[in-house]
Amino acid sequence: MKNFKKKKISIRWVVALKEEAQIIIDQFRLKTFNEKTIYPIFKNEEETHWLIISGIGRSNAAASTAYLYSFSKASKHTSWINLGIAGSDKGNYGDLCLVDKISTYQEKKATYPSTMPKTTLPKMNLFTSDIPISDYSTHELIDMEGSAFFDIASKLVSKEFICLMKVISDGPQNDIKEITKSKISNLIKKNLSNIIYVISYYERLSEEESQIAEKPELFYEITSKWHFTVTQSYKLETLLRRIEVFCNKRDLEDKIKSCESSNSVINVLNSKIKKNIVNWSKF
Amino acid sequence: MIETIYVEEAIKNHPRTKFILEKFKKSRIISINKYGEIFNKRNQNFRIQKANPSLILANKKDSFVLSAPEGFGIGSSKNFYFSHMYNCIYDCRYCFLQGMYSSANYVIFVNFEDFDIAIKKTLEKNVNSKLTFFSGYDCDSLAFENVTGFAKHILTVFRTYPQIEIEFRTKSVQKEPFLSMKPMQNVILAYSLMPELMSKALDNKAPSISKRINVISELSARGWKIGLRFDPLIHGKNWKELYQDLLEYMYNKISLDSLHSVSFGSLRFPKRMYKDIFKLYPNEPLFSSPLSLNNKMISYDIEIEEEMTSYCKNLSLKYINENQIFKCSI
Repeated sequence: MKNFKKKKISIRWVVALKEEAQIIIDQFRLKTFNEKTIYPIFKNEEETHWLIISGIGRSNAAASTAYLYSFSKASKHTSWINLGIAGSDKGNYGDLCLVDKISTYQEKKATYPSTMPKTTLPKMNLFTSDIPISDYSTHELIDMEGSAFFDIASKLVSKEFICLMKVISDGPQNDIKEITKSKISNLIKKNLSNIIYVISYYERLSEEESQIAEKPELFYEITSKWHFTVTQSYKLETLLRRIEVFCNKRDLEDKIKSCESSNSVINVLNSKIKKNIVNWSKF
Repeated sequence: MIETIYVEEAIKNHPRTKFILEKFKKSRIISINKYGEIFNKRNQNFRIQKANPSLILANKKDSFVLSAPEGFGIGSSKNFYFSHMYNCIYDCRYCFLQGMYSSANYVIFVNFEDFDIAIKKTLEKNVNSKLTFFSGYDCDSLAFENVTGFAKHILTVFRTYPQIEIEFRTKSVQKEPFLSMKPMQNVILAYSLMPELMSKALDNKAPSISKRINVISELSARGWKIGLRFDPLIHGKNWKELYQDLLEYMYNKISLDSLHSVSFGSLRFPKRMYKDIFKLYPNEPLFSSPLSLNNKMISYDIEIEEEMTSYCKNLSLKYINENQIFKCSI
């Protein structure tokens, strides 16, 4: 029997460097896997948060995103987060930004992540480069993974479930060569409360969407008693969803308990719908 | 509040783009090449976007004026429609737009003048026919008027063709540009209505029925022609009493001289569209109605449809002529 009370929060983090990830690993109490994986993977006990350390560059970002999807059996209601540092001469050193446009040298067309959470955090265009760039004048934000992460993640889920967060780490006044491991950790740490705020939106989103997609409880009970073909299962699910708006589970159980086949269950439910007169004053 | 506005590069300096952007000074502007990069791409969720839609300003390239499908009309021999906007600021649960587009973002085409040209060409090709144009088939005709100014613009075209009808179909309480203009007899302000009880459950984010009626009353008193669109007719407990109250109230509230036409349409969805909308909103009371597949459409059973339509029609015949009553079947 399914556990209907189980939390459906589902977050997947793709982070390039261990130094960027460590604060998140600590915050969400993520633990590494004992088994050998191609990229380092961490998850919490509830398996609601998973994190992969991709390494630097577009290829790593793409491969690790796909790998985490497969390895963690992420659903289509999973929120995908790319967190990392980025260069900029537009924002302030240490600021956390959300990305709403991504371009690269390779692709003519830009891509446009949604920035769904209500927040005052700055939003910026990201340029993903294959090599470190020291001329910051032509782009708002520069990183080395964002575009590839988004390209793969947007094949896995609808784009409202994808978020790219960047902390400004270098720019004309802050030489990229002076970035150290501890500076990176501190930059992420400084923004932890904002990161958690953004993540809380994606936690809610994944939870709510998976609840909407959840089949009615009675579906599992009925299909365990009678045999339904694939087409019948779809009909059953649809009918139950429509009926549960106005009829409680016990009444329905009473109605179908004497049914002898899946067909007769569907007929009973169909006739229940046919006779329903919606009482609009209840809604 | 619209947080993000995408603007096609080609129209970033268009005066109408600037006019619209002036109204959203706090929004973030993002430059794009084509609106298709954002709108209606696969892997988008209409329902989630609807919580916080963005605006897209674009240049329409073709298909400015289209023939209306058969069954969509109010008495003319030829019917056409045009849409300066895709999507709607309201969120009515029966609306076909939620099944038509995967994106809930609003697209506004700023090149209104190209609509003017296409309308004039259509008129030239149909000089011997009685024509009606429907503005805003893919949106609410007037709900965003304070942002776009499209109705005000297009009325200048129709003022020069008094024999050609134009209908604006709306649920909005937008009174301008009509209050400050001299009424035009070829313009029909058509309001979608249903009993308040049902509207409260179904017409999300739209003005209440009583507010719509007040605006209808005000504009009809000014001399504007009014259309009443009971489309879709919604079935439910006490539907006869609810529709009787509404219809009688309407016919007593407005001057019948101002009434251009009344139409009734049953609740109906193309099968594919119903499937998509149901997937988005599986727990909506509307879908607990006795709907089933009839002639490739998901609708009430034919007996319910006919009973509702003839009941409302017969009631209306006490007040208006039969030739003012139309059936919406598309």
